[in-house]
Amino acid sequence: MEWSVFQQYGPMLLRGFGVTIFCWLMGTVLAMGLGLIIALMQRYGPRPLRWLLQVYIEVIRGTPFLVQLFVLYYGGPLVGLRLDALPAGLLGLTIYGSPYFAEIFRSGFNAVPVGQLEAARAIGMSETNIIRRILLPLGLVSALPALVNFSIILTKETVILSIITVPELMYQVSRMSTETFRYLEANLVLALFFWGLVETISRVGRRLEARITRHLIERV
Amino acid sequence: MDQASAVDIRKVNKFYGPFQALKNIDLTIPPGKVTCLIGPSGSGKSTLLRCINFLEEYDSGEIRIDGQLIGYDAPGKKSSGRKLREMRRGIGMVFQQFNLWPHMTAQENVAEGLIRVRGLPKADASARAADALRKVGLGDKMANHPARLSGGQQQRVAIARAIAMEPRLMLFDEPTSALDPELVGEVLTVMKTLAGEGMTMVVVTHEMGFAAHVADQVAFMEAGELVAVDAPDRILHQPQDLRIQSFLRTYHERNAF
Amino acid sequence: MFSIQTFLDAFGPLAMAARYTLLVSGLGIALGLVIGALICAAALSKSRALRRFAAIWVSFLRGVPLLVQLLLMFYLLPVVGINVPALAAAVITVGICASAYIAEIWRGAIGALPPGQTEAAAAIGIAPTTIWTRIVLPQAVVMSLPALVNELILLVKASSLVSVVGIMEVTRASQAQAATTFRPLEVYLAAACIYLAINLCLAGIGRWLEHRAAV
Repeated sequence: MEWSVFQQYGPMLLRGFGVTIFCWLMGTVLAMGLGLIIALMQRYGPRPLRWLLQVYIEVIRGTPFLVQLFVLYYGGPLVGLRLDALPAGLLGLTIYGSPYFAEIFRSGFNAVPVGQLEAARAIGMSETNIIRRILLPLGLVSALPALVNFSIILTKETVILSIITVPELMYQVSRMSTETFRYLEANLVLALFFWGLVETISRVGRRLEARITRHLIERV
Repeated sequence: MDQASAVDIRKVNKFYGPFQALKNIDLTIPPGKVTCLIGPSGSGKSTLLRCINFLEEYDSGEIRIDGQLIGYDAPGKKSSGRKLREMRRGIGMVFQQFNLWPHMTAQENVAEGLIRVRGLPKADASARAADALRKVGLGDKMANHPARLSGGQQQRVAIARAIAMEPRLMLFDEPTSALDPELVGEVLTVMKTLAGEGMTMVVVTHEMGFAAHVADQVAFMEAGELVAVDAPDRILHQPQDLRIQSFLRTYHERNAF
Repeated sequence: MFSIQTFLDAFGPLAMAARYTLLVSGLGIALGLVIGALICAAALSKSRALRRFAAIWVSFLRGVPLLVQLLLMFYLLPVVGINVPALAAAVITVGICASAYIAEIWRGAIGALPPGQTEAAAAIGIAPTTIWTRIVLPQAVVMSLPALVNELILLVKASSLVSVVGIMEVTRASQAQAATTFRPLEVYLAAACIYLAINLCLAGIGRWLEHRAAV
């Protein structure tokens, strides 16, 4: 095996790494935000809206991310949606992730005991205050493990963006390997990189969880 | 106590689908007095209690607090959320499961309503929360989160949370039923003090001792019906109705073990 | 303008290609069940080395994107002297990847059984192997069925990635179709519909199983 190619292609790979992390962070934040909005609208919105959102959730969860990207990136221009690869990829990640996050938030909200919301209602708190002060903090805490878990899944989905030519890490690695014919080494390193990244994120996630829930666990 | 509220319940009906949970309930809760609601489980006493602050909607009839209809502006026309919230400010409620907010300390739990509902500045709210907690004997536990408190302590925080709002009426929904037997006393003591101060209290309870010694009137419910309302003595010691006799017999048999 | 005709015409060839989507995900889950059972057994075994191996297996396969795994397998197999058709390599990769998730599903199902049940069985003198075959496994398998159906749905979607190594499944076929008709929107939407139809059927089966398990 020949490893010196990594030196030569270092800067390019580094840029790819940056794009991967950027896509992951932005995609996660945007998808999470959209998911939260969907979950709140499903809880408080009028019935037809809730029904429509449920259809959206089923459709997005029933189709592959790659096909969604193709519809958006190659099909979009036909209806006037002309996006470069990177924005298309980010929009794709946002749309793809939002229903999963919405479901995570929904079950997080459902895990908040009804009595704790009633207690707030009984002292006359307004519905917005109840959402802000009770439902969101407690719902987020119970959703946290699933949120971390799905963000990890999204790190892995970012490689699919390479297929629509987003210049993230996998895209750069493929370019490098076609120029150098070092396919195996390149993909091996890519695999190890993601393995390390995912392990790190889940470790950080677990620590975060322990920190946030430290007051909520009963200690006698 | 500036003024204690009176509650008038007139011909209240409540349905869950075809099941009638409350049947034509008529009950007067006099101001400054303690009314205990007793009866077998599923008799509708908790439902009735929850109708008083409209956590549970009643379908027909009227519930008036100091003459003011709760939940409705006129029969059949529900009041706005704002109006309902304003009425609820004057009604404290204590739940069987405490329902403290686990992400806040004891003091924050009590201060939350003062800040968000009464609009007090944070420092004021904290000071008042501290007063309320001292009153229920928890002056040393203010910084604890609920998970670090015993059940009895949690329930006392819940009482402090309610009284800090300076209610004129307090509703207790089986406040000691979720507690280990040795923790029941501390909660009942706090409630007794509150009663002594002239608070109007409606208490759903299985503690017949509390009903006998603290209540001014006892209402017995069964199967959604209000069977009898009378002085504690006459309900608990000389019950006329067979249903009350049978309920008390079961209660005493259980306690005989 | 959106052309309904192109959209409808796309379904014919894509439905044919769906056979490969079903083949890859179906064989993939079958292989995943077998390897997953072995990995689960290793994870629960008394041997520290086996447990360690299972942990690394699961962690690696769940940490590395399937697309990377696919390419890795493609370039690795010839190097170690295994020459198999692309379809076989794709199925093997999908199956190996699924095994990690399936092993965890089973471990979770076994762990979810109340320990009192095995204790009760042991207390009346039932042999450990009999406890496993008669009490633990039957319940764990039934309990894990909805999660396994869910895994199959994930595989149907993941199988779209084998298009990059040239398998003519729905996604690859839709790419070809889009290239010849110059109508990517209609064609890709048709592909999405086919995936959705497959997955809604599977989800229905999953709900039915869940309902049955709950009764």
